[in-house]
Amino acid sequence: MANSTQLKSDALLEQMKLHLSTDAGKEITKKVGLVYQINIAPKKIGFNEEIYVVDLKKGEVKKGPYEGGKPDATFSFTDEDFFKVATGKMNPQIAFMRGAMKVKGSLSAAQKFTPDIFPKPSKM
Amino acid sequence: MAMRDLVTGGAACAVPGSSSSSNPFGALANALISSSSKTEERLKEIPTSTTTYSDGNVYAGIDEPLTTLPGSEFDRPLQPNVQGAEFFRGFRSADQGRLADVWEEIHNPQLPYSQGRGSLTHLPAIEQTIRPNNQLQPDFDGPPQRVLSSFLHSFVNSNQGGVPFRPTPLPVLGLSEGDKQCIRDRSSIMARHFFADKSEDFINAQVNALLSSLDIDGDIRARGPLPGRFRELEDYWNESQGMMKPGPHAADGWVAEYTQRRVEHGDPNAWAQSFELQHGANGWASEFEHEQSQIASLNQMKGANIANLAAMEQTRMLAHTLAQNNDPKFQNSKFLQFVSKMSRGEIIMEDNQVKPNAVSAPGDWATEYQQQFNGGHAWADQFTHEAITYTISRGPDGWASEFAAKRDQNGSVDDQWVNEFSKLHVQDWAEEFGNQFGEGALGENSADNWANGYDDYLNEQIAAKQRSETSRGVYEFSDMNPYVGHPNPLKEGQELFRKGLLSEAVLALEAEVLKNSDNAEGWRLLGIAHAENDDDQQAIAAMMRAQEVDPTNLEVLLALGVSHTNELEQAAALKYLYSWLRHHPKYGTLARPEMSDSLYYADVAGLFNEAAQMSPEDADVHVVLGVLFNLSREFDKAIASFKTALKLKPRDYSLWNKLGATQANSVQSADAIDAYQQQTSTHAKQGNIEVVVDALRSVLNEDPLIVMLLASQALDLKPNYVRAWANMGISYANQGMYEESIRYYVRALAMNPKADNAWQYLRISLSCASRNDMMQACDSRNLDVLQKEFPL
Repeated sequence: MANSTQLKSDALLEQMKLHLSTDAGKEITKKVGLVYQINIAPKKIGFNEEIYVVDLKKGEVKKGPYEGGKPDATFSFTDEDFFKVATGKMNPQIAFMRGAMKVKGSLSAAQKFTPDIFPKPSKM
Repeated sequence: MAMRDLVTGGAACAVPGSSSSSNPFGALANALISSSSKTEERLKEIPTSTTTYSDGNVYAGIDEPLTTLPGSEFDRPLQPNVQGAEFFRGFRSADQGRLADVWEEIHNPQLPYSQGRGSLTHLPAIEQTIRPNNQLQPDFDGPPQRVLSSFLHSFVNSNQGGVPFRPTPLPVLGLSEGDKQCIRDRSSIMARHFFADKSEDFINAQVNALLSSLDIDGDIRARGPLPGRFRELEDYWNESQGMMKPGPHAADGWVAEYTQRRVEHGDPNAWAQSFELQHGANGWASEFEHEQSQIASLNQMKGANIANLAAMEQTRMLAHTLAQNNDPKFQNSKFLQFVSKMSRGEIIMEDNQVKPNAVSAPGDWATEYQQQFNGGHAWADQFTHEAITYTISRGPDGWASEFAAKRDQNGSVDDQWVNEFSKLHVQDWAEEFGNQFGEGALGENSADNWANGYDDYLNEQIAAKQRSETSRGVYEFSDMNPYVGHPNPLKEGQELFRKGLLSEAVLALEAEVLKNSDNAEGWRLLGIAHAENDDDQQAIAAMMRAQEVDPTNLEVLLALGVSHTNELEQAAALKYLYSWLRHHPKYGTLARPEMSDSLYYADVAGLFNEAAQMSPEDADVHVVLGVLFNLSREFDKAIASFKTALKLKPRDYSLWNKLGATQANSVQSADAIDAYQQQTSTHAKQGNIEVVVDALRSVLNEDPLIVMLLASQALDLKPNYVRAWANMGISYANQGMYEESIRYYVRALAMNPKADNAWQYLRISLSCASRNDMMQACDSRNLDVLQKEFPL
């Protein structure tokens, strides 16, 4: 199921998928109501990117480019930086200013992309 | 501030008169400068100001603002005709004599009043520079100059007692762009001397307060294509700093040569003219550079450390190469540094937060940064030195007038700088910003958000600097450790750990490993204490030291596997869990040596399943299996494994937490909360086995009613397992119960204020719960306020 080169982001987005099926997850769907595409690169933005679509209209997380038209905003991260942003270790604005996050699409949509929408992993 | 201005189109940093009314600084600027045309009128209205300065009325127009100036009370009662002398004395009495002298030099214009009108004729350049708006009426510059000097005086005095310097509204000073830049540059440098014993932040705050009061911002630099200009500046800076390194020789040489030049040409104007002739429009920048390289070659001929110079040359080249790098990521980070500098009104290299993956040689970069940083001091020292030299040798009309004279000759030096640095190949930042948000419209609010983000970034950088070592797996010891010197810190640490006083236990154990750095048990327990205190970075660092000493310790290997799983570092986690198996006396035979090179999850999991079949009564195997299933996110299997392990080891509180964490991650948050409450009770009341057994039974049978009953009972107990409390908070937050989650985070933090994760999560929960009123308390880590607001 998993191999040793797996991305941290895979784990986070899989958790996101589960999270969206809960009541709290449905709240997020209602609150945000946008479709984000997230391109995650293992080391360097633009190379070997894995594409995820976090559809907060339908409450789904899917692998692969968005098929229902154009996503509201598209983000590009490295794996490490996405992990930091999603777990609240790095603020998305800062990520953007550092060049750790690239954004395409609507700015107002991009601004709703905050660490709040991601569930936090509990630790063993 | 500066960033916001950039984003909003630059109200406060804009040209006087163009400020938008929505910006407070812009409004201030408007208030101050929009009336600059009225200044002359206003001054004309002062009846006696044209010739006599002994009349107190001369201050009528500015009397009120002056009262608001800290430190101005020194000057106020003085008779105007002795004001100059008194002013000097005032400076010296401030115990900053030498530095104050420099200030005087910079803001020389008091001189005309102490020496009589005659001296004015020697200083036409100063008159023009400082008072460009009043060129037709040179007599009227008294009041603004006095305000300025009082103000700067108060700035100098503000170092005593470390009282923060407050921005103060000032009347019209009519400062030209050149003056502003001059003040900005000087104050940035001098502040480092005035406040040498203060922190960098304090200095920056002081300088910013000064600059904003004088309506000086990064205005000149704010316009135009920033990244490119910064690149130029950096090159220049590197060049001058690199050459400066030889030390006192260079500085002395520079001063000597400078003085010589001065003597040769005598009169400042002539000097400036010849300077102009010799060096053309590039001004002192190129001259400075030129002289520096001359000195360098001189040193080289003297046989000065050639290897050193070569090294410097190389770092310089490196900096140059880096600056040429067109990788957008890199450029962005430079842009950032520039902005950060601009916001402090200085251009000295400060925070080189360049991503290691963007820079091929991070080590070199750090070295170079160090050099530059030291160089900054050298430069400032030299600056002081030079200024003092002039004070002595040339009298009070020293280099300030000269500088001003040259400035006058050159017309607008600022323009030249801007022009010079405009030769660039990088996109204008605004363009780039626009590209990023091709379709986005930048509203006022959004700009504010981004500016706030920038403020956060500054704070974060300070924190990140302190923590950067930890993240690299280097153990970071506490500063003040009362257990150092304790006869038996290990025993003390074990005792404290058993009592659940984790933060204390950490200190005692640190004392132990400081004493015996090869005590594997000390390191191991230290790692566990950190893990239970919810600090995985430190836990990993400590466990790695334990593993160095004792590479086959099973508990250490398991702990490392768990911590890396928590950090989602799959490869590392697999490595340690496999090592656990390989070193296990019973299961070691299962491991195949050829595997250790490339571990695949499926193979490792297969081995552990074999092990579990071998001895199904071994709780440890089930624990490792549970961790492995967490790694592959097969949470149901993980939960089953942990439950099996718990049946075998019901009193292991860390197992309860593992189960709870797994349930939380598998979005069984309600179950998770029950598990947490159970395990905290297990931990706290080890004697109360019946409760534990009942709890266990309930959880295993998934009987929610009994679980809830026991949960309330568990809450009455006093657990010290910080991680469990933080995880409780996470469980609540993931269920959208933010208020509840806040209480648990605060509780966890009260037990271990160093748990950074919990602070970040608390912040998120506060924002989700719309408790922005508590954000300040969270950011300043004010636990008293938070605990009062969110009792548990």
